Formats: sequence, structure tokens, C-alpha cells
Amino acid sequence: PAVSPQAFPLPSLPRRQPTVLVVCGPAQNGAIGLVCARHLRSFDYEPTIFYPKRSPDPLYRDFTTQCEKMDIPFLSYLPTEVQLINDAYNAVVDAVLGAEAEAAEGTEPCAAILATLRHIRIPIVSLDVPSGWAAEAGGSGDISPDVLVSLAAPKECARRFLGRQHFVAGRFLPYDVRRKFGLDAPEYPGTECVVAL
Amino acid sequence: PGRAWPGFGVPRGAISHFRQEEAQAIDQELFTEYKFSVDQLMELAGLSCATAIAKAYPPSSFTTSQPAVLVVCGPGNNGGDGLVCTRHLKMFGYQPTVYYPKHPSKPLFEGLITQCKKMDIPFLPEFPAEAAFIDELYGLVVDAIFGFSFKGAVREPFGSILSTLERVTVPIASIDIPSGWDVEKGKADGLQPDMLISLTAPKKAAMHFTGRYHFLGGRFVPLALQEKYALNLPAYPGTDCVLQLT
Repeated sequence: PAVSPQAFPLPSLPRRQPTVLVVCGPAQNGAIGLVCARHLRSFDYEPTIFYPKRSPDPLYRDFTTQCEKMDIPFLSYLPTEVQLINDAYNAVVDAVLGAEAEAAEGTEPCAAILATLRHIRIPIVSLDVPSGWAAEAGGSGDISPDVLVSLAAPKECARRFLGRQHFVAGRFLPYDVRRKFGLDAPEYPGTECVVAL
Repeated sequence: PGRAWPGFGVPRGAISHFRQEEAQAIDQELFTEYKFSVDQLMELAGLSCATAIAKAYPPSSFTTSQPAVLVVCGPGNNGGDGLVCTRHLKMFGYQPTVYYPKHPSKPLFEGLITQCKKMDIPFLPEFPAEAAFIDELYGLVVDAIFGFSFKGAVREPFGSILSTLERVTVPIASIDIPSGWDVEKGKADGLQPDMLISLTAPKKAAMHFTGRYHFLGGRFVPLALQEKYALNLPAYPGTDCVLQLT
């Protein structure tokens, strides 16, 4: 949750209203997007959520309720006309697909969402992996996020990331888990939960 | 509304202080209407506490050779907040030790204990017999014994624990309510903590707090709920999860 403000501090946003579009996929990555949206709201951003395929998981349904009760609007459709998105929002949070998604990438509605995201011109912040990158070996059809927030530790496909800022949000990992998987232990500044790589 | 003042030095009269029933009503609404889980809010609350402690007592400020902290956890949710706080303190570079004599056998608490133990956080088998031992070994004590639901008499072993803590000279940081205090009236001859971290909003007892540091934590109350209960919370700085009130 702390990342968007670090990458896009409120005073720096180009639009008058601090609007952010949060696009949430059907599984865990999407649920993380919902939690992110809620925290953005408490940080005084104006998030809007697009969550076309809602998970039946009770925890994720509660995340949805929390967002609704905080008056975060849910779009009923994503405009295919990308200029509408470019004009309305300062940035897009990509919480469509995570590292586990392979089958989902080609299915609707994710395929259509990704097709639109490939053409937008405002910055994209991807959660954990740029959606669609996990399944592909690397191709011209990929979305190009400006910011990547790796969760726990960077994934394999993050090596291909060429955007402006790469953050890791993994302060919660216990030392023995890090050791077991041979993960680096970056120094987190102060009490921050993210660190820029 | 309620966001006009800078965070530091807000006059006490401006921010609302709650009665026990009001605090319980807000909590209930977060769970039943907003569908927050206890886990979610406890995690955010515990993180706030650790963050506030790190701001007021950074590891470099300890005179003990290591930044050793004793966290005393009570039998309810305040104890749970303490366990979460402990885990984050460890992440922030402290060396916490827990004393947790009584806890519900619910998965939430079992899970929190496991998370601490797997991070090599020791759990004391006995409470230090004398205040002097605590002063020697630790640079700070976190009081996570009783919270805003506390009512009535203090049951053992907490009576003896509180008597010992009242004689400790290292700083004590209390989570939400100084333990043993009446949630509204305080307790003049009770624990006198150096720090209080009020969660969600301060309770009436906070008006009797005379320690050096009063922080607000628990940055999860939706605006609509803040307005409904007229919390009058000052703005949290940036994306911080704590706000220093004094």
C-alpha cells in the first residue's frame, strides 16, 4: 500500500483530482489490488476499481465490501477507448494477474483488459508481476509498467522490467524463510515496508 | 472536516475522547458493517504500535547493549495487538521478549504465537520476580495487558504483574489503555506509562495520561465512520500509520 505515494506523491500528480484506476483480476493478485485501493483511499487518493470477475472467496468478498463501504466506485465496464482512461486517471494499478496465473491470461476478461492496458499512456504500477508476463517468455504484446512492486521477493520475469522504479515489499518475510530460499535481505529504511531496488 | 490541524500539538479539547461503550460500538461497526476481520485490524493496530515505539524510542537510543524490549501480553485482543507489535519490533531491529501467561486457544492467537516463535522471539516461562530485573535486562516494556474492554477487578496473575510494573523505572508504552486503569476515569495510583498509543481514537482515560508520548494509531477508520461518530481526528502525516499527538 505504501508504494503508490512514494512513486507518485500526491502533489506531483498531473490531474487536479488524485484519481487512480485499480484494475483487479479474479484471483489473489486482484484481492491485493482491493486492499491497495482501500489504503490509497485512506491516503486521500481517489481510487476507482474495475473488478469484473469477483472471487467467491469469503475473505476477498469482505475486501470488496470494505471498499464499497468506503465509497470507492466500481466501474461496470472498462472503456476500450483508451483516451478516456488517459484523461480520467493519473495512473493505473495493475492487479490483474500474478505470478501464478498461466491459464487465466488468455481468458476473458483478462485478455481484453490487457489489450486495453497495452495502449494506455498514463503510468502503470504493477503488483508483483506485470500482468501477463509470467506466462509469456517475453514478447511485443507485453504491457509496460512504469513501476513494479515485487511482493515478498522479485519473480523471475521481473528481470525483464525496464520501467522507472522497482520496489520490493517483503519486510514481513521471516529470516529463516529468506535463508531457505536464498533471498536477499534488503535494508528497509526506518519503519518502511517497501524499499526501492 | 476534522483535518484542518497539523498533526503535532493538537489541543486536547479538539480531538474526541471516547467512552467505553462508544469505543465498543465503533469496533462492532467495523466488524459487522464494514466486514473487517479481527486479523486485519489487529495487524494494522500492532504495526501502528511498533511504528510509534520506533519513533519515540529508536534502537540507537537504548542504553542496554541490545535494544531489548519486554512485551507483556494479556488474555484478550490487547494481548493479540502486543504479539503483532512484537513481531514488527523484531523486523525493525529490536530484540523483543514476550510474557504471555494466559491466552484463548483460538487459531488467531495460536497463529500469532507461532509467527513470533518462528522468528526466534523468546517467550518467558515466568515473569521476572522483581522490577529491578526488568530494569536491568530491558530498555522498554510494552504493556499489552488490558485494552478498552477492560472492566472490574484485575485477575491474577495480572495483579502481581501490574504491581511489579508500577515499580519499574524503564519506560513503559501502553497499548490503547494503561492496563489496570478504568477506561474512562483512569487510575491515579496505577501504572504511569511514558507512552500511550491510542488505537482508532483516544478513550476518556487518555485525558489522565501524563507521560511524554501520546500517539494515535490504527489508521483504518473509514471517513464515513469518522464522521458518524464525530471522531475529529487530525490528519495523519502522509502515509504514516501513526500520528504523534503530544
